[in-house]
Amino acid sequence: MTVIHPFADASQTAVPEVLLVDDDEINLLLTGLGLRERGFKLVEASSGEAALELLRDWTPDVIVLDALMPGLDGFDTCRRIRRMHGFENVPVLMLTGLDDDASITRAYEAGATDFFVKTTQWSLLAGRLHYLLRASRTRIELERSKSKLARAQDLARMGSFDWWRVDRGSRGGLRTSPEALRVFGLGPQEEVSLRLILRMVPQGDRRAFLRLLHAALKHSSVLATDVPIVLLDGRQRIIHVEAEPEFNEHGNGAGYTGIVQDVTERRQAEDRIRQLANFDALTGLPNRRQLIWRAERALEQARRQQHQFAMLLIDLDRFKLINDTLGHGAGDELLVEVGRRLRACVRHSDQVADVAPDGSANSARAHRALEAVGRLGGDEFVALLPEVTCDRDAERVAQRVLEALREPIFVSGQECFVTASVGVAIFPRDGNTVVDLLRNSDIAMYSVKAQGKNASAIYSPALASQGREKLELETALHKAIERDEIVLHYQPKIDVRAAKMVGVEALMRWQRGGTLVPPNDFMPMAEETGLIVPLSEWALREAARQARVWQDAFGFNDSIAVNLPSRLFERSDLVEHIHQSVTLYDVPHRVIRLEITEDNLMKELQNVIPSLHRLNEIGVEISIDDFGTGYSSLAYLTTLPISELKIDRSFVRELGVTPQSSAVVTAIIALARSLGLRVVAEGVESLRQLEVLHRLGCVVMQGFLFSRAVPPQELQTWLEQTVLPRKAPWIGAAVDGEGGDDGLRAAGARPFR
Amino acid sequence: MTTALNPEPPDGAASLPVTLDARAVSRLRELDPDGRHGVLQRVFTAFETSLMRMLVQLGAEHENGDAGVVASVAHTLKSSSASVGALQLSKACAEVERRLHDQAPGDLQADVAKLLAAGESALVAVRAMLRG
Repeated sequence: MTVIHPFADASQTAVPEVLLVDDDEINLLLTGLGLRERGFKLVEASSGEAALELLRDWTPDVIVLDALMPGLDGFDTCRRIRRMHGFENVPVLMLTGLDDDASITRAYEAGATDFFVKTTQWSLLAGRLHYLLRASRTRIELERSKSKLARAQDLARMGSFDWWRVDRGSRGGLRTSPEALRVFGLGPQEEVSLRLILRMVPQGDRRAFLRLLHAALKHSSVLATDVPIVLLDGRQRIIHVEAEPEFNEHGNGAGYTGIVQDVTERRQAEDRIRQLANFDALTGLPNRRQLIWRAERALEQARRQQHQFAMLLIDLDRFKLINDTLGHGAGDELLVEVGRRLRACVRHSDQVADVAPDGSANSARAHRALEAVGRLGGDEFVALLPEVTCDRDAERVAQRVLEALREPIFVSGQECFVTASVGVAIFPRDGNTVVDLLRNSDIAMYSVKAQGKNASAIYSPALASQGREKLELETALHKAIERDEIVLHYQPKIDVRAAKMVGVEALMRWQRGGTLVPPNDFMPMAEETGLIVPLSEWALREAARQARVWQDAFGFNDSIAVNLPSRLFERSDLVEHIHQSVTLYDVPHRVIRLEITEDNLMKELQNVIPSLHRLNEIGVEISIDDFGTGYSSLAYLTTLPISELKIDRSFVRELGVTPQSSAVVTAIIALARSLGLRVVAEGVESLRQLEVLHRLGCVVMQGFLFSRAVPPQELQTWLEQTVLPRKAPWIGAAVDGEGGDDGLRAAGARPFR
Repeated sequence: MTTALNPEPPDGAASLPVTLDARAVSRLRELDPDGRHGVLQRVFTAFETSLMRMLVQLGAEHENGDAGVVASVAHTLKSSSASVGALQLSKACAEVERRLHDQAPGDLQADVAKLLAAGESALVAVRAMLRG
């Protein structure tokens, strides 16, 4: 048996199921046979009623109905089938007689898909059935695709429309898909017109939208725009309209086809993204990116209109301290409040919409909208003044900023006093680019910090060169140790009564190129950068080495005092380091004496005390430098393991000039004596000072009168040529001063010359 | 031309007074070329049964004179008789059906008589086919 599938295609793999309805059993039998032979699966029914019964729980792929049947004929059966749910589109083929035109018409009216003349040529019938099946499949696929599209459009809140011009009798107007109606908040049955939609556009935007429509129509150009609308229920939406022109056979624009889409959520998300990208999340102020964008625009405008614009860099003073002591939460609260206050110092505007994205302003004054305070990061803010006429304008705003911070800020239930340092740079004088202006306002701000903070400064090239020098100095200092550029000079401590050296103080010098850099020029930076630690460690080692050299050379048996910052005392390895240094050169621990300034000691007292005790235990004595200038707690002094107080040079300088200084010196000497400490007077430059000090009871001195700080080899020479031959003028004075049992009384009885 | 139920009719078979159309029978035979499914047998048997029932019905209408019943019988017999090759009967059915449909002048009694005569002949021919 040959099975013929002339219309079969790859997508049709299942055997098509046919319901064949005919009252004539011969026809039923023969047609059934003919179709089965051609690959159909047949179910036969001998009446319309029987067919409807079968269709209650089965849906064939195609139904073949004999038109004329007793009882329910083919037409009525077809009508009833069409009314059944799910059978609206099942293909129905009506079999009619060859000469029965009336039945053909009636068949279509009853809802038949097609008709076919009864035949005994089954292949023709089979062909027609395959055709119907294919058409039906195409239709089903189309329906599916349409519903998918509708679903997709629904999900995308999108719908399609077309609009036609009224043209030579054709009606024209707007036609929308149900999905498009939904976009406009309308039901599928509601009527929509262009007029209605235009009325939904708020009045402020309507004119611009109409202009756009007219322009598109005039040039038959593509339309793509977002338009705000207010739906009939009052909801505000943003609709994206995109349409392409359609042309008639003459090439004239006949209308538009396109889509509308509700893009409200997308726009809101975009706005949110823009907000996040351009504004600081904490303070809500413009962030670095936005600030730089605004600054670039302001700069372009200033250049074009030839005016000045100013950039103020505002950095909070001591913010780190607040953050560290009150916590980050409090720090954040503080920044928010500072942001709020700073904002009020300028004509801050959040919106810069009136400046076009290309930077061109709509009006000559539009750049004013760029004025803002923003947060650059951390505790750094920037105020942008897009137009200033002179420095004074910027200074006024800087003063306003400082003033705004004068009131205390309450954070975490505490009153905080915050100050700021403000650096100002003005275009074009202080920089031609935003980067330059930012850098120079930064330099100006740092100069304020260096000079005590809580003020403002305008950039000047001198500030920049200071900065550059500082940077170079820092770099060079890093390399100074490894290049052996750091040296120690030594100033002797003299017991004037015995006219002999009782120790030396080591003072650091930096031989940079041909010059000797004094400690005041590099020690603050060494402190700031942390280089002080390796420098101090080197000094300890070097002092131990020198002690060894001198011991070998002339029997040096005194101590070398090395100045240490308090942070060295906080290091747990200090004792070990000293131990290693003296061991390395085989000198006793007492060769090293440590000097710490009174200020330093008192600031870090609790952290330093353990070290002092351990040092004392190994024989390293401690001396307090610059004594009298700080605020020592006398109670502490009695318990500290110290052995020497050094009277600050400022009191020595004033001796014999102001009575107060001799009072202070007297008090220090008395204190030292009562605590059993040695007193050393620093900065002794004249015989008169020596005389007074000696009279007041101080016998150990240091100063230019005896010797400046000298390189180690010169010290030996000085000893040999000055001290030992007793040739110096002060030696006479000292020796003259000798004699009384009590140095103090003796000094008082026989003043020096 | 004569034809019989058997796929290959015996040589020298006698001519029948009314015969079934050879082309129609051959188309039927194509449905079951090797006769395995007994299609011809089933078709002719079904036609015989159906025809006898119709003829009885027509006989009754000779008395009753219901044109609708006559037209329905004519319509049904028209296509099934054409299918088995009883072309004379099919033609008679078509004529009667057309006349009744068009309500053309004529005599229902004569129509019935014409259908009965053609039917009897077809019955003979079909029986002849069934008996080979």
